[in-house]
Amino acid sequence: MSIHVFGIRHHGPGCARSLRAALEKLKPDILLVEGPPDAQEVLHFMAQPKMKPPVALLIYATEQPKKAVYYPFTQFSPEWQALKYASKVSIPARFMDLPQAIQLAHTDPEQDASGEQVTVDKTQTRSARIRNSVLVEVPEESKEETLLREDPLTMLAQAAGYADHEMWWERQIEQRKNVVNLFEGILEAMTALRQEVKPRNSEEAQREQLREAYMRQTIRTAQQEGFQRIAVICGAWHAPVLVEPGPARADSELLKGLPQLKVSTTWIPWTYSRLSSRSGYGAGMTAPGWYAHLWNSPKQMTIRWITRAAQLLREQGLDASSASVIEAVRLTETLAAMRDMSQPGLDEHNEAILTVLCHGDSTPMQLIREQLEIGEKLGEVPKETPIVPLQQDLESLQRRLRMKPSIEKTKLELDLRKETDRGRSQLLHRLQLLAIPWGNQARVTGKSGTFHEHWQLKWKVSFPVAIIEANIWGNTIAAAATNYACATAKKQTDLPELTALLQSVVLAELPEAIEYLLEELQQRAAVSSDVQHLMDALPPLARVARYGDVRQTKAERIVPIIAGLFERSIIGLPGACFSLDDDAAQGMLKSIEHVQESLQLLDWPEQRLQWQHTLKNLAESDTIHGLIRGRCCRLLLDQQALSEEEMQRFTRLALAPTAPILQAAAWVEGVLRGSGLLILHQDELWKVLDAWLSQLNPDNFIQLLPILRRAFANFQAPERRNMGEKVKHLHQPKPTQTGSGIQSHTIDAEHAARVLPVLAQLMGVSYGN
Amino acid sequence: MTTQSSVVTETKIEAILRQHAEQQYAEELAELVKVDTRQRPPNWKLSPWAVRTYLMGGKLDSGFVVSPKYVGNPRLMEIAIATLATDRALLLYGIPGTAKSWVSEHLAAAITGDSTLLIQGTAGTDENAIRYGWNYARLLVEGPSEAALVVSPMMQAMKDGKLARIEELTRIPSEVQDTLITILSEKTLPVPELNTEVQANKGFNIIATANNRDKGVNELSSALTRRFNTVILPLPASIDEEIQIVDRRVASLGRALELPAEKPALEEIRRVVTIFRELRSGLTIDGKTRLKSPSGTLSTAEAISVINSGLAMAGYYGDGELHAGDLASSLIGAIIKDPVQDRVVWLEYLQTVVKERSDWKDLYRACNEVL
Repeated sequence: MSIHVFGIRHHGPGCARSLRAALEKLKPDILLVEGPPDAQEVLHFMAQPKMKPPVALLIYATEQPKKAVYYPFTQFSPEWQALKYASKVSIPARFMDLPQAIQLAHTDPEQDASGEQVTVDKTQTRSARIRNSVLVEVPEESKEETLLREDPLTMLAQAAGYADHEMWWERQIEQRKNVVNLFEGILEAMTALRQEVKPRNSEEAQREQLREAYMRQTIRTAQQEGFQRIAVICGAWHAPVLVEPGPARADSELLKGLPQLKVSTTWIPWTYSRLSSRSGYGAGMTAPGWYAHLWNSPKQMTIRWITRAAQLLREQGLDASSASVIEAVRLTETLAAMRDMSQPGLDEHNEAILTVLCHGDSTPMQLIREQLEIGEKLGEVPKETPIVPLQQDLESLQRRLRMKPSIEKTKLELDLRKETDRGRSQLLHRLQLLAIPWGNQARVTGKSGTFHEHWQLKWKVSFPVAIIEANIWGNTIAAAATNYACATAKKQTDLPELTALLQSVVLAELPEAIEYLLEELQQRAAVSSDVQHLMDALPPLARVARYGDVRQTKAERIVPIIAGLFERSIIGLPGACFSLDDDAAQGMLKSIEHVQESLQLLDWPEQRLQWQHTLKNLAESDTIHGLIRGRCCRLLLDQQALSEEEMQRFTRLALAPTAPILQAAAWVEGVLRGSGLLILHQDELWKVLDAWLSQLNPDNFIQLLPILRRAFANFQAPERRNMGEKVKHLHQPKPTQTGSGIQSHTIDAEHAARVLPVLAQLMGVSYGN
Repeated sequence: MTTQSSVVTETKIEAILRQHAEQQYAEELAELVKVDTRQRPPNWKLSPWAVRTYLMGGKLDSGFVVSPKYVGNPRLMEIAIATLATDRALLLYGIPGTAKSWVSEHLAAAITGDSTLLIQGTAGTDENAIRYGWNYARLLVEGPSEAALVVSPMMQAMKDGKLARIEELTRIPSEVQDTLITILSEKTLPVPELNTEVQANKGFNIIATANNRDKGVNELSSALTRRFNTVILPLPASIDEEIQIVDRRVASLGRALELPAEKPALEEIRRVVTIFRELRSGLTIDGKTRLKSPSGTLSTAEAISVINSGLAMAGYYGDGELHAGDLASSLIGAIIKDPVQDRVVWLEYLQTVVKERSDWKDLYRACNEVL
């Protein structure tokens, strides 16, 4: 009877290859793998041909799917290869780590609340941590200790004079041609390292003790069952303590009476990009595509890699001749030689491709990074695997909200003031965000659009698949929608698109995503060169800030963003108003009005002054389109920020005989827009307008007619009549003029009184008594 | 006669404004040769490892300290050296002020001990400058002969197996650029008039520099691009690196120009470098606020000249100490290259960033006065 311990690094193709070879040589009769015993029952799915890595084992607390762990596997994971081997030669394979039922019961609730998933895979945050530790020149003693425990290889790498443990591992293990005694070597090194570490008393250390105790217990069980050659596959760090399990007493003491949680287990498809450390909480692997390449073509590695890169570039229409490929291969090898390496690594390849194939331009490298280094790939799992927690969450929500999925089209009317209906609306909006369009929102016409929503529901058979895919984003609908929205926002470059997303996130009531989007919005706004986008983004934000929104978005987060947008709009606006044609001027007018509207909502005196100052500047500048100038005058007039004399001056300048007539007419249109009442009292305006119109020659007049018609079209009939009256009496002595306008009608008190009861009823006040 | 003239040149070396790299760093090169035991490519004075040490600086086994010539990512220098070692031509590319010519000169000095085989690329550079010209008086008297041939630096480099340097490759007209294609692929330069050719000796190679910011230059044809390995020299990666470069250059330039002002405080340099970096990257140092970037390059070299002109202002018109006011005008001059676009960028930056920093009040005031 013998125990053989194989210390490995998760996801190392070289390691996987060596392990497979070692196992084939050893021919063990049982395989013990570091992994969750909870998953034992779904382990057999692995053997199915429909199971295609990358996949992940998902273990979650049945009652609280937010508590979950992922164990990602790829083709070149040593664990995967070992398990595959076991199923090939039909020997039992067991997971031997501390069950997640116990580990999850330990997870502190704070972390769960933040919606973060815990991944026990040690490699998870390693890269980030390592990078930090490299930045710090002299790591403190305690830091070194942590480093040692969490990433013992770094210590070895540093001892060997490498700054980066990845590179050390690559060169020493992954690229090793001669793998004889590799695992003995690792075991020895780890034993030496573990002797260096002083025992600690932290919670983490305790958990590690528990895990190792459990592993030893599993080994003992296998021994008792009479297996002869036991192969143990575990992270290199654990290797030394598993070689000699020794007496069981201490371990069983340790493991007695630990709290447990009910957990469920399933397989879910995984992606390479989730493996790469870039996507938040991947498995800490920077270049899965590169490792897959190493796994798939160990021979002619450089030539194949660079040829693939060249083909990729050619597909994108970039030059990459065979001669260049040859030069790139040569440079790669020379670089490796200069750096005293036996085989070039990923960096050398990248540098050669950049220098020779891309002519130093790093943009195509992005492509290579995405297509080759990460090499996006989505795994597959057989249909028979148990359902995913997202599905479970959805079902429980459906039960709670009493919404049955049906493939018939059904209508749903929601009153958002009721809690259940609000929950339903929330769910539908969130599903929409996740690209699961169960409900289509119909426009509410007529009554009370603000708190009513109309939906058309239709469940499609493709949704379950979409749900499994969406499970990558999170285990509950809320978490998944939040993560998905954040990821989408990251990719989105257009400001209006972002505000649209913000709107749907507000509708879906995802506070974290709202926070994130606001942040993102602020970042993008700063670099946006389109002033109109900035201005158009203001009103919805202002509305949220003003009314504090039914959905409890925090106003104090939004105010600085509005202020920033406003500042930038003010600075950019004058420049953006130059040389606009008629259509562009109309568009700009809308944007200006958006700002005006937002300011009215917000009521910030300082900004209002600034805004008025800007408007005045625009009105003054005679190179700007007449429509905008006119509108600026009008907006100032509306805010009583323009005295009568100034208005007269502007009018005379704008309608001077020397002014181009089309511009003058546009100016008139700009001024007259909106309510006519205020304009009525601008005598001077009418006088000048009258004079200007009278001196137009017939041809010009006909040319201008459409514009003038448009300018007056939106007024109510009584307003128009009053204007006519006004102009008719313009040149008559004053007294008649003061009588013009609405007040001039004598009011018949008796007639008026008859209306009052109805009016009172309409307004809901009592009249009379 | 000859002895006399050589004496004259020797005394001149002390007085000349700028020495060649191999003259200025002769001692370092000699020390490197002494300790360098590694394999050298044919006709190289130093091994690739020693060249790297010469460029990046370091302490030799003999205890001699080599000063760093290039402050930045050593991997880039490794790529450049490996390129030359694989017998490929090297193109150093980048925006102005990123030490392209500087690196090219030192590479040539370290590898061949001679950085003077230089062709300056301009719109007026013709084929003769790259291939060979004729001494017309002799040509008329003697007809075509070796003696009438005027050898170009390129031809000289081929004969001696040395490095030829071409500055501003993209400014050379396209049809003249194409002369290089044969030289680079066949490694030979035919002289049909004498019915002969010059075949390059081992060790011959070309280092070219070009900047990728200017418009209206002659883009390289793809045939020529293919024959170069391109290394893009970036702007300094970290603020401390950049401050170090600026500080060092300002000190040495200030000495050369004999400015009456005191050496600037590191804080003032840090401020200028911070502004340049923030505008260039479109992001504040703390990574919180996004900014627009102006149209100019805002290279380290420009930061150096801003500090220098600030020093001159302080020295001649101020109290001899560098204040925000002395910097404001040259700062704005360096940033606002386009009167409309860049002004907006600068105003935004002033209002959203400079104004908010409590210890930058003096700078904010000074800049507002100038605008």
